[in-house]
Amino acid sequence: MKRNIQLWLSLVLMLVALYLVFVYVPTEKEMGIVQRIFYLMVPTAWLALLSFLVVFIGSTLYLVKRGLKWDILAHSSAEVGIVFTTLALIVGSLWAKPIWGVWWTWEEPRLTSTLVLWFIYFAYFMVRSFASEEFRGARFAAVVGIIGFVDIPIIALATTLWRGIHPPPLIFQGGLAPSMLLTVLVSVAAFTALYFLLLFQVISMKNDVTEVRKLKELRG
Amino acid sequence: MNFWRKVIAITWKDVLSEMRTREIIFSVLIFTLLVIVIFNFAFGASQQLMVLVAPGILWVTFAFAGVLSLNRSFIPEKEESCLEGLMVCPISREVIYVGKMLGSLLFMLIIEAIALPIFAVLFNLPVLSLQLVTITVFTTIGFVAVGTLFSALAVNTKAREMVLPILFFPIVVPIIIGAVEASSLALSGKPWGDLSPWLQIIGAFDAIFLVVSFLIFTFVIEE
Amino acid sequence: MENFGYLLAAFSMAWALVFGYVLLLLNRQKRLQQEINSLKEVLKEKAS
Repeated sequence: MKRNIQLWLSLVLMLVALYLVFVYVPTEKEMGIVQRIFYLMVPTAWLALLSFLVVFIGSTLYLVKRGLKWDILAHSSAEVGIVFTTLALIVGSLWAKPIWGVWWTWEEPRLTSTLVLWFIYFAYFMVRSFASEEFRGARFAAVVGIIGFVDIPIIALATTLWRGIHPPPLIFQGGLAPSMLLTVLVSVAAFTALYFLLLFQVISMKNDVTEVRKLKELRG
Repeated sequence: MNFWRKVIAITWKDVLSEMRTREIIFSVLIFTLLVIVIFNFAFGASQQLMVLVAPGILWVTFAFAGVLSLNRSFIPEKEESCLEGLMVCPISREVIYVGKMLGSLLFMLIIEAIALPIFAVLFNLPVLSLQLVTITVFTTIGFVAVGTLFSALAVNTKAREMVLPILFFPIVVPIIIGAVEASSLALSGKPWGDLSPWLQIIGAFDAIFLVVSFLIFTFVIEE
Repeated sequence: MENFGYLLAAFSMAWALVFGYVLLLLNRQKRLQQEINSLKEVLKEKAS
C-alpha cells in the first residue's frame, strides 16, 4: 500500500518536473539550452548528500543501539547513494564540457567534492566486503559512515577555499528567476521521492536476504 | 593523571620496540627520501617549476610515508596478539588509541624532521622556517588522528595494505589541500596572516577528528 | 539549439542509470522471492 503511494508520487513528481524543465522554464540567456542540465545537477548532488546523511544516521544508531535494522538502513542508503553520486559526476562532466570546454575541471569545488564523496562511498563498501566476518564488516562500515560524513563539510570548505580567490563560475549571473526556482524545487522533490522509493526497495530486499538466511538455517 | 600514565606506557612500549628493531623509522625514512628523489626526476630540472611543485611533492611524500608508517602501527598488535593482551588489561580503549596515536605521531615527526632538511638541500628551498614546521606538525597530527583509527580497522581486514590508503586518502584531502597551500605560501615568504585560513582548516580537522576518532576507536577493536 | 547533444546525453544518462538500477533491483527481488518460496516449500515438506 505504502509502496504504491510512493511509486505514484515519484512518477507524478517526475512527470511534472520534466514538464517544468523542458516546457515551462524559459531558456537561459547566457548558456542556452544546455543550462537545463542544472535541473539534473542540483537534485543529484542533493541526493548524494542526503543519502550519506542517512548512512551517517544509520551508522551512528547501529553502533549505539546495535539493531541490525540500522545497519540495513545505512547499507541500503549507501547503495542508492553511490548510484546517484556516480550520476552526479557524469552529469557534472556533461555540464562542464559545453560550458567550460573540458570534460573535467578541478576549478569547480562542487565537482571535486563530489568526487571525494564518491571515494568515501567506495571505501564504505570496500571495508564491508574486506572484513573478516560480516558483523565486523557492518561495524567497520559504520565507522566509515560516521567519519566520512563528519568530513564532508570540511572537504567542501577546503575545496571551495582552494579555488576561492576567483569566485567559481556562477551558475547564473544574477539571481534565480522565480520560474527557475520552482523548477529546481520540483526537480529536487521528484528526485527525493525517487530516493525514498529506491531506499525502501533496497531495505526490503536486504530484509529478504536476512529471511533467506534464516530459512536456510532452519532447513539445515 | 592515571590516564596519561597508562597512555605513556603504551607509547613507550611502541618506542622501545621501535628502538630495538628500527623497522618503521628506517624503512619509511628511506622510502620518503626515495620518493622525493623520484619526484625530482619526474619534474625535470627547471628551478621555477620546482618552486611551484615543491609543496605538492612534499605533502604527497609525507602522505604516502604516513600510510606506510601507520600500516605498521597495528600489525604487531595483530600478529603477536598484543591487542588481546592489551584489552585484557584494566585500561580503557581510549588509552590504547591515544597511546598508539602518540607513538605514530612521534615516529612521523622524527621522519619528517630528517626529511625536511634533506628536502631543503635537494630542492634549494627554505623549508626550515617556523611556518613550515608548524604546518608539518599540525598536519601530521591530523594524519595520525584518523590514521590510527583506520589502521586498527584495516589490520582486521583481508587486504590491509590496500584498505588503509583507500580509507585514508579521501578523508585527509582537506588537510592535504591546507598543507600544500600553506606550504606554498610559506615557501614564498608570505606572512602568517596569509597562512591563517589554511591553518584554521588544518586545526579544525585535527580538533574534530581527534575527538571523533577517540570516541569511535572502541568500536573498531572490540571483539 | 547548440549543445543540445549534451543536454540529451545528460538526461539520457540519468534515465539510463536510474532505470538500469531499478531493473537490477527488480531482478534481485524476483530471485530472492523465488528462493524464499522454494525454501518455505522445503520446510513445509519437512514439517509434514
